[in-house]
Order: sequence, then C-alpha cells, then structure tokens
Amino acid sequence: MKTHCYIERYATSDMLPTDIKALIPDATLRRRMSRFVRTGVATAMCCLDADSESGEAIDAIITATGFGCLTDSEKFLRNVIEQHEELLNPTPFIQSTFNTIGAQIALLRGYDCYNVTYAHRGLSFESALLDAAMQLDEGTARRILVGAADEQTPSQHRIMERMGCWRKHRDGEGAAFLLLQATPTREPSPCIEEIDFPETRLDDDTIRRRYAVEQILRCDTPQSECYPTAVARILTQAVAPAAGKQIRIAVCNNYMEAQPSVIVVSC
Amino acid sequence: MRIAVTGIGIVSAAGIGKEQTLATLRASRSGLVAAPSHFRTRHALPVGEVAPNNEELARRLGIRHCTSRTALLGIVAASEALADAGAATTDNRRTALVSATSVGGMDLTENFFPDFIRDDRSGRLRMAAHHDCADSTIAIARYCGIDGFTTTLSTACSSAANAILVASRLLRHGVVDRVVAGGTDALCRFTLNGFKSLQILDPAPCRPFDASRCGLNLGEGAAYLVLERADETRNPYCLLTGAANTNDAFHQTASSADGQGDYLAMRKALETAGLSPLDVDCINVHGTGTPNNDRSEGVALRRLFGNEVPPFASTKPVTGHTLAAAGGIEAALAVLSLHHGEIYPQLNFTTPDPELNLVPVTRYIRRPIRNILSNSFGFGGNCTALLFSNRP
Repeated sequence: MKTHCYIERYATSDMLPTDIKALIPDATLRRRMSRFVRTGVATAMCCLDADSESGEAIDAIITATGFGCLTDSEKFLRNVIEQHEELLNPTPFIQSTFNTIGAQIALLRGYDCYNVTYAHRGLSFESALLDAAMQLDEGTARRILVGAADEQTPSQHRIMERMGCWRKHRDGEGAAFLLLQATPTREPSPCIEEIDFPETRLDDDTIRRRYAVEQILRCDTPQSECYPTAVARILTQAVAPAAGKQIRIAVCNNYMEAQPSVIVVSC
Repeated sequence: MRIAVTGIGIVSAAGIGKEQTLATLRASRSGLVAAPSHFRTRHALPVGEVAPNNEELARRLGIRHCTSRTALLGIVAASEALADAGAATTDNRRTALVSATSVGGMDLTENFFPDFIRDDRSGRLRMAAHHDCADSTIAIARYCGIDGFTTTLSTACSSAANAILVASRLLRHGVVDRVVAGGTDALCRFTLNGFKSLQILDPAPCRPFDASRCGLNLGEGAAYLVLERADETRNPYCLLTGAANTNDAFHQTASSADGQGDYLAMRKALETAGLSPLDVDCINVHGTGTPNNDRSEGVALRRLFGNEVPPFASTKPVTGHTLAAAGGIEAALAVLSLHHGEIYPQLNFTTPDPELNLVPVTRYIRRPIRNILSNSFGFGGNCTALLFSNRP
C-alpha cells in the first residue's frame, strides 16, 4: 500500500538511559514489569517524552511483538508445572498478555485512544504500520505511536537453536517506537511511502527497479540481530539523521526466510 | 463506504457450525460441562468445551500433521465462513485473513515444556514450533487457500472484535476485496490456571449481571465473519456499520468504576455509524459474570442509554468465555440474531444486582432488530464495540 506517514520522532531500546526511573516513575509498576515490558514501555515513553513540548494528543497506540512476553509466559508455565497447579502467583500470567506494553503506555499517560497489538511473527511490525498508515490516510488519526518489541530468553534461544535457526542467523532482541504523523511538523521529514508484501524475496536489482530506491537496508544480514520485529529498529536506522540530499531507502525484512516485506522510506 | 457481512463460521461449546449453535441457543441450552476433558488438570471447574478431541477434529478436517487445537478450531470456523459466503479463494478477489488468538499454540507448548525443563535436549520440537500467535493464523490461511494479506491480533478478550474492526479498514482502503476476520482460542492448563490464580472463576455456571455473580467460566472455540464491500455483494446477512476500540486506561486487569472505556467504545461505534442510542434494538453484552466487569459494563450501559437500556443478554453462560475468540463468536451471534430477528436468552439469571438494576433477556424472543451492538472488553483496558445493522 502506498502511503504518507511522516516520522516525527523515534526511540529505540539502544537509546535508553541505564536508569529508567524518569521514564516510568511509578516504582510498583516498574517492579512488576518484566525486562521485556519495562524496555518496551520505557522506549515508548522515551519517544513520547521527546514530544512533550508539543502537548498534542496521540490518536492511536499500535504495538507489535512476534513472540510476546516470553519470560512471563515461561515463568507462569513453570509454576503451573512445578507447583502442580496450586498456589500460583497471578502476576506473570497478567503480564504475559500480548498487549501489555500498549496497555501500560495507556495506563501511564491516561490515553483512552485506539490501542491494539499485532502478534504475527516476522510481520508483526509491518501489520502495525499498515494499520497506522490506513488511519493516517483516512484522517481518523493525525498522530500515532507505533512500536515493536521482542525479547531473547534462554529457553527461546535454546529451542530455536535445536531447530537450527542460529546456523544462519544471530539471535537478538530490542524495542523501537516511532511517532507517525499525517502531516510533517517540519520539512523535510522522513516519510514512509509504501508498505508492500512481495510474494518472494526480491534481489537488490529488482528492489531498486520496483520501488525506485537508491539504498537497501536488509534485516537478514549475518551481522543483524535476528528477532521477529527487528525491522522496526532497522527502520529507525534508515531515518537516522543523514547529511545531504534526500534519498529513498527500501527496508527489507524476510524473517527466517518467510513472508518478505518491503518498507519504502524517503529521508 | 459500506461493509457487508457475507459469511459466518462458528464453533464453540454451543455446537459445531451455525445450525447446531442456533439450535442450542434457541432451546435455552448451555454447552458447559462440569470439568475439562481434553487435558489433564486438577481443577474440576465448569468450562465451555468443544466436544470433539484433537484427533477427531483433525480426522474431520483430513489433517495428519501436528496441529494446535487453536488452529484446528480456527480451521473449522474459517472454512465454514468461506463456504457460507459462497467464496472461492481461487476467484480473482484478493482475500485476507485477520485472525486473533490469545493462547496461540500454548496447548502444545505446555505438553512440551515439562520434558524441556527436566533436560533442555528433550521435548519434541514439533510441539514447541506452534507456540506463537501467528502459527494458527498461518495454518488457517494454508488450509483455506487464503493467499492474500494475513495477520494476527492479540489484545486479550477483545482480540477477535478488533480483528473485525481492522478487516473493515482493509476493505475501505481497498487493500483487499474480501476479509475472513475473527478469532480462535483453545482451552488449556495455562489459561485455566491463570484465571484461577486471579480468583475470577466461578465454581458454578456463571451468572452475568445477577446479584449473586462471582466469576466467569472459561470456554474455547472460534468464529469468523466474511466481510466484503457492500456494493460488491448480493444478499449479505447485514452491514457492519460501526466499530470502535478505546482504552479504559485504569488498570491492567480490572475495569474502572465508571466504565469509561466500555462507554467510549459503544459511543464511538454509534458515532461511526451515525446512529443514536435510541437506534440500538439489542446488545450482546460482554457480560463475563465477574463482579467487576458486569458492574463497569452496567454503569456504561446506564451512562449511554439512561433508563432506556435496550434488551441485552450475555451468551457466555452458553459458550463460556472464549477469550480471544469471544469477540468473533459474539459478533457471529449478533449477526444471526439480527438476520433471524430473534434474541437469544441469557441463562442462569434470577436476581437483579441492586446497584445496577439491569435485567437481561432471559427467554427466547422473536422480534425484528434494526441495529445490534456486540461488546468485547479485555485485559489492558482494551474495549471494543461492533455495531451490525440491517440494510436500511
């Protein structure tokens, strides 16, 4: 789908300070959060905080995660097994819900707007982005917070190792959030121009021709951290302040050699 | 642009397929059983279980490989919906699948995990491979021959309602021409114990909105609607005229005392349809039977409708609370209710809650319905309302 989503600002988990108290001031809330939820929420807050001077409302919060809250799911499952279904602590069960990050953002900021979570393996973030693009294009939303997070855990790593996933890829994790707008606050602003789902993985020449791009960023290089929503972080790398003239970049995802996607961004 | 419902597929404790489901509802029967039978658990709690076990479901579908129960249930419902719409996925209409699930393949993972935690070299990998939410969606798409856009939503108990909302957006934007939208969830130890640990499971059949209500009963199932642009269809069931998702922004699991999220979702759904509360003839309420949900939802109903709350009922005493599938199952029931001009009664209600003084429909009624609301609320303050309308 062709679109015009201007990237007003973004934050990634790599940009987080070591002490996130300022981002999530409520100590009880912070303590209950697993590392995954804490990282995701803090990254979202980081993206929003940079925006605090604008004072404008957010019209939608759309989050994405390939595997969700693995640590909490595993913790609760372990307790069920080891404690023979008795005297279970509900906290990890509550926090294992896939929409926990989006819900906590709404809770912390009192946002009553549209708030959904996509959990569709390697295309979770693209699904969230497509939803955001449709809302910005139809004018039902002007500013949307879109983000993604996935965590690496010892069990997930070990299981995927046994499946042979790490022969060609390097495991990883991370969170990235973007604030998208229908109209740019300043010119020039990086702009997502197309979200496409080609049937097969396309080679560089085809991508250059089909999407009229000058540069290609791939999520599946041997150096890249490989997790279902890594594409969100790669997208922020594409729009990181670049000197000089405006170019078109294709961000290509093909998580575990399945379901390719192409996000075209001009910046 | 108007969006039409052209097909329905449904499986739950109330039956497999539209006809069995309608027979159960019209006869005021419950599909609940005294305890789960498809998995081992020490909790003898009433649940809305789909009768056939995995082997029987797989045989019925001609599936031979390891498949999660979530996917099996989803395949039963999605293929019925496509057949009901008379839709051939081989025609040139681009078909999408927007599916919702909250447990994914957890029913298999929880059988893999005991071996794995004893020794991380053991446990059959094929049972861990279906863990994520996307797995059931991809299995359904493959079985049904859906090769267009495919995605999965997971927003707890409002998931499938959100899938239907997103489907209407994909159609409005011309991203696709037809969407199979809904959700699927299988009962498993993980969720049964999760809700047990939250102390919101009623050891008896649930009693939504009743003064004596003290919790919910879990259920399993799947339901999908086929949605298309109205001007490209002939004789649809009805139109999806309104849809809204809002957030209660109050608590991770509890709903607010003023039912703000519930209220906003219903109000915005009406706004998107350009209708007023007086146009609503019936509501399939979320009505889980927990003291908290029904109080918030009841307050929201009073805020929106005042003293003119339309006839409403919760179908959860029949199906159990099917979590991510609930929004799909209840949307399908709302569509059937509208189409056949009938209101399915709520079971187990005897005494109104003095705080709310709301009385659901407790007997099967036949009457024409113009517009029906279907409410679905979930953890994380996630609130969704869908509005279905007969063609004007």
